[in-house]
Amino acid sequence: MVSLPGALAGGFVGTLVLTTGLRAATELRLTRIDLPFLLGTAFTADRTRARALGYALHFVFGLLFAGVYYVVFTALGQASWWLGALLGVTHALFAATALVSVLLPLVHPRMGTPFSAAHSAPLLEPPGFLLFNYGASTPTVMLVTHIVYGAIVGAGAGT
Amino acid sequence: MIGDGRTAALVAADGSIDWLCLPDLDSGSVFGAVLDAERGGAFRLEPIEPFSAEREYLEDSNLLETTYSTSRGTVRVTDAMPLPLSGLAPTRELARSIEGLSGEVAMRWSVEPRFGYGRSQTQIGRRRGVPVAHAGADAMAILSFDAGEPQASGDAIEGQFTARIGAQGLLALSIAHGDPLVFSPRSAIERRTEETLDYWRSWSNQRSYEGPWREAVVRSALALKLLIHAPSGAIAAAATTSLPEELGGVRNWDYRYSWIRDSSATLDALLSLGCPTEGDAFFWWLLHASQLTHPQVNVLYRLDGRPGLPESELDLSGYQGSRPVRIGNAAAPQRQLDVYGHLLQTAWLFVEAGGVLSADTSSRLASTAGLVCSIWSDEDSGIWEVRGLTRHFTQSKMMCWVALDRASRLAADGHIPAENASRWLAEANAIRRFVSDRCWSAERESYMRFPGASETDAGILLPTLNGYGADGERERLMATVRNIRAELGSGSHLHRYRGEDGLPGEEGAFLACSFWLVDALGRLGEINEASELMEELLAQSNDVGLYAEEIDPVSGEFLGNFPQGLVHLALINAAVTLQQGSR
Repeated sequence: MVSLPGALAGGFVGTLVLTTGLRAATELRLTRIDLPFLLGTAFTADRTRARALGYALHFVFGLLFAGVYYVVFTALGQASWWLGALLGVTHALFAATALVSVLLPLVHPRMGTPFSAAHSAPLLEPPGFLLFNYGASTPTVMLVTHIVYGAIVGAGAGT
Repeated sequence: MIGDGRTAALVAADGSIDWLCLPDLDSGSVFGAVLDAERGGAFRLEPIEPFSAEREYLEDSNLLETTYSTSRGTVRVTDAMPLPLSGLAPTRELARSIEGLSGEVAMRWSVEPRFGYGRSQTQIGRRRGVPVAHAGADAMAILSFDAGEPQASGDAIEGQFTARIGAQGLLALSIAHGDPLVFSPRSAIERRTEETLDYWRSWSNQRSYEGPWREAVVRSALALKLLIHAPSGAIAAAATTSLPEELGGVRNWDYRYSWIRDSSATLDALLSLGCPTEGDAFFWWLLHASQLTHPQVNVLYRLDGRPGLPESELDLSGYQGSRPVRIGNAAAPQRQLDVYGHLLQTAWLFVEAGGVLSADTSSRLASTAGLVCSIWSDEDSGIWEVRGLTRHFTQSKMMCWVALDRASRLAADGHIPAENASRWLAEANAIRRFVSDRCWSAERESYMRFPGASETDAGILLPTLNGYGADGERERLMATVRNIRAELGSGSHLHRYRGEDGLPGEEGAFLACSFWLVDALGRLGEINEASELMEELLAQSNDVGLYAEEIDPVSGEFLGNFPQGLVHLALINAAVTLQQGSR
């Protein structure tokens, strides 16, 4: 039995934990990644407003991904914390190799890409492959936080 | 130098491209003949018969013209790295347009790619009939349009053709890195080249300096624009690694990274020239780059933010036998206290120009000031990155004062939290007393390199430019400037220092110091003397207005990495100071 409300509730709580985990990693000087900031600066150059807006957007994306997890759980006919954690690994790899490292710079008006040349002056450095540009520990931080997110969504969907 | 804001190529006086790193400035070289003529790789293009060559930039641009004169005629080659302004542009692109100006000149060219500093196994093949060199994720297509049929010859691709009057040929490198090659038609390459020329001229015309040295200032600005890593906003100290500070010596360093000590001069120059966009991008980069180590600041950072700058040596023969050839930089983990002064001064300049600090940035700057209060009394390696030697360098102490003074001003104006402002002021006064009491030599009438030192330090000029002593130390500063010139001067040039630095051999005069001297004299009111010195220095650029890190004061030969951003920053800021001082 797979529960959509449970998955969405898990998505909300999971995003809360993920965002808090990333923030804690930043404070611990493990990484410079700040997903709410990256999302918010797509809409405003005001750093404070960007972060506030980015948090809201991050929760929306957290719920959308929980919906994707629900679809996968439904296709598999089961949901559990460990299955969610496995999806979290895939989610983290997708985020680090494509979503944040490639797709976000392409649509973000203030972020550089490897193709930004002298005629442009983006305000944000691109994350690079596996987000290494934001610190050597960034891939590990992303992996751990997304596994936790996935486990929470999986546990919620399985209730 | 030609470039596109991601990487840059050096074109030698004979037209050979002897330095190009791909895909970025701090990546491995594909053309590195400047460091090893045999194994480095190059893109040679020249008349077959004996020739003379003259170079000049197309006015207000980063397109370089080389005109070859032979007994049979003349040919002009225009080199550019087109910006991806239209069409499906390759990851990186280099275009060499050839135009016959008179007579008939037999030309030959040779592309010898050596990816990864020559360490990668470069293979030559053909795609759609186009010669391609590749190694791992890197590939390069050599496109020839009316410039001879490309022929593979061993590990090179060569061609010959005759440039007749009015005829126009084109050689282009289409470069890929982890993506497919793009085979652009000639019209697309020529269109991008024209658009690139228009872009550079438009950018140059927007620069606000209108003083007597506009040509040199704009050329410096154009060179700096090529050293700015567009994807991140960071600025590289120079385009090269291991060009020696002493011919045949070991003082060979990798400068393709961004030094915090250049930050205040960078923002000052960008704002003075009316480049707020680049200034904002640089300040944002500075905040991001320093976030991981906050409240401490590293000496230097990679251009794209990646971690790690391990220093290693390459198996290359070196420029005129100057070994080792190093990549990476072991100065990165050094403690240099002056960087905090540059960071706070940069923030101060940003705010003075109307920038707004966010709450978290303000908080970070305040805690950085707190750190300075705790560590200013420690020894450090100093601005000149002396290896294995720490001292109470006067310059470092003065820059710590700059840090706390700027923090106090930022707090007084409400830009950063003011809870600890009284402590910052108290510590700033303590630094002032330390410098005044222990770093001043009454006998020599000068600030010295460190307490008890028998020599001075041209680096002391830098705090002067950042406001140290502006409130009542004119006499001491002027005396120090005179002593620096007397002790470290060689004609119009200055050495950084004369004392021990832990390395064998000697180095040339440090060109940035000469322009700092101009700037300092200007700020101290000696406008005529400064202007005369400025004229002397401007006459000593290379044939296209660029400067290396150092110069041999006797032979006039450039030494060290090239072109050196710090020199061009110092030139711009000195010119602006003199322009303002003469009003």
